[in-house]
Amino acid sequence: MSKQIGDVILDLQNISLRFGGVKALTDISFDVREHEVRAIIGPNGAGKSSMLNVINGVYHPQEGKILFRGEERQKMEPHRAAAQGISRTFQNIALFKGMSVLDNIMTGRNLKIKSNLLMQAIWWGPARNEELAHRAKVEEIIDFLEIQHIRKTPVGRLPYGLQKRVDLGRALAMEPKVLLLDEPMAGMNVEEKQDMCRFILDVNDQFGTTIVLIEHDMGVVMDISDRVVVLDYGKKIGDGIPDEVRSSPEVIKAYLGAGH
Amino acid sequence: MAFFLETLIGGLMAGMLYSLVALGFVLIYKASGVFNFAQGAMVLFAALAMARFSEWIGGALGGDNLILANILAFLVAGVVMFIVAWIIERLVLRNLVNQEGATLLMATLGIAYVLEGVGQTLFGSEIYKIDVGMPKDPVMMLESVFEGGILINKEDFIAALIAAVLVALLWLFFQKTSTGRALRAVADDHQAALSIGIPLNRIWVIVWCVAGVAALVAGVIWGSKLGVQFSLATVALRALPVVILGGLTSVPGAIIGGLIIGVGEKLSEVYIGPMVGGGIEIWFAYMLALVFLLFRPQGLFGEKIIDRV
Repeated sequence: MSKQIGDVILDLQNISLRFGGVKALTDISFDVREHEVRAIIGPNGAGKSSMLNVINGVYHPQEGKILFRGEERQKMEPHRAAAQGISRTFQNIALFKGMSVLDNIMTGRNLKIKSNLLMQAIWWGPARNEELAHRAKVEEIIDFLEIQHIRKTPVGRLPYGLQKRVDLGRALAMEPKVLLLDEPMAGMNVEEKQDMCRFILDVNDQFGTTIVLIEHDMGVVMDISDRVVVLDYGKKIGDGIPDEVRSSPEVIKAYLGAGH
Repeated sequence: MAFFLETLIGGLMAGMLYSLVALGFVLIYKASGVFNFAQGAMVLFAALAMARFSEWIGGALGGDNLILANILAFLVAGVVMFIVAWIIERLVLRNLVNQEGATLLMATLGIAYVLEGVGQTLFGSEIYKIDVGMPKDPVMMLESVFEGGILINKEDFIAALIAAVLVALLWLFFQKTSTGRALRAVADDHQAALSIGIPLNRIWVIVWCVAGVAALVAGVIWGSKLGVQFSLATVALRALPVVILGGLTSVPGAIIGGLIIGVGEKLSEVYIGPMVGGGIEIWFAYMLALVFLLFRPQGLFGEKIIDRV
């Protein structure tokens, strides 16, 4: 791989998150560097999704600091995170089911549309050009994800694998600095998984997007990530390049149980 | 034939007004999943604001410029509805995010009573009139085709026209603008909408605002026809069958549902009424709604509810 890993873009320091008496995350620190593919893995209930939701601003940790591009942020709401360049996909696909694939991906451009309401409504001059420019960008993404043939289909009618792709497309339309993927390969067959891996690597490669992804399936993750964080019961038990993590006795124990 | 047409047209005009009130329901349901019981109270509140402001502004201007006074009053009433929307979001909706539908329903019931009360405290509780200078005299049409022609109420005709324009504007807003797209997105999935940077709170203010303007237009038209009084709040009850018929999530459904009920009421009253002793107009809409609830609960255009097991 020839890509250049850059500076730290996202730095999480001593994050603890509790829901009432339940400790979801305990004192977790790790960083994400620009242009890398960073994976968070762990068995069920390890706190992976909670971690993602902390980065995204859905949950606010009781302790710890989050630095995004060098700035500390306080109690950020998800829509603010989106405005700053963090976009995400969902484990249980959360698409706008009534809308077409095109419209769904177009919503990802919403933050970037600047012309005012009235001009848009009457489809006038600058507003029209702007809409067309955004449309062109969306078409690019549609081409990239190879979903031209379903552009006009309402997403509710699509099979699961394709819906996952549209979900990714919508996140990409925001041209994010950091892309969070919540189990992008969950529930897919081998072929779909391979496609998804290819898209993730291409996004990383062609757009230079930093990617943080959560995955259950160790094998897939090890192939595409630059560095991996391992969580178990809300604690960090491993962090490093895939080969290091794979051979760590603690990680093996967490995945396979004691005695191996 | 001429009589039939006259009844039909009368029904269409009445239906257009039902549609306007129904639109308010649909807008709010679409964007927040809340069935807004306060829509009728909003119509009353908006009409009261309009009636009193046009009176006050008209008085301040010297009373000879009716059109200017009405336009100013309409704008001021619009601002009042915006403030109402903002306060509702601030005090009620914001605190009820992710609550059960029934909780939100009860909340809107509460809003309805508060609006009715505050409306009368602020604007008085007499019967007021809104005079927007609509011509009241009926006109004859198609005299060459039918003997005696068809009698059409000019006021109804203008009202229907205004309603149609409003509907067209709403359609443009929902389908062609990025804010409209954001509204549809919020209606589909709150989480996902937040993740792409759509601020829920602002969207809710916008929706209640748009519903407030729809209520204002409905209030002005009903008010200029019947006078502004407390009973205007019950107009909403007449629009309930319309949303059941048209589907809670469909803007065109609200329009077509309104027309069907308007026409159905008038035709059944005229043609079936004499056989059973009349009074059909009052319960016809509810009967129709009941039939729909039994056989097609999602309405004509609503989204079919499929539960995954």
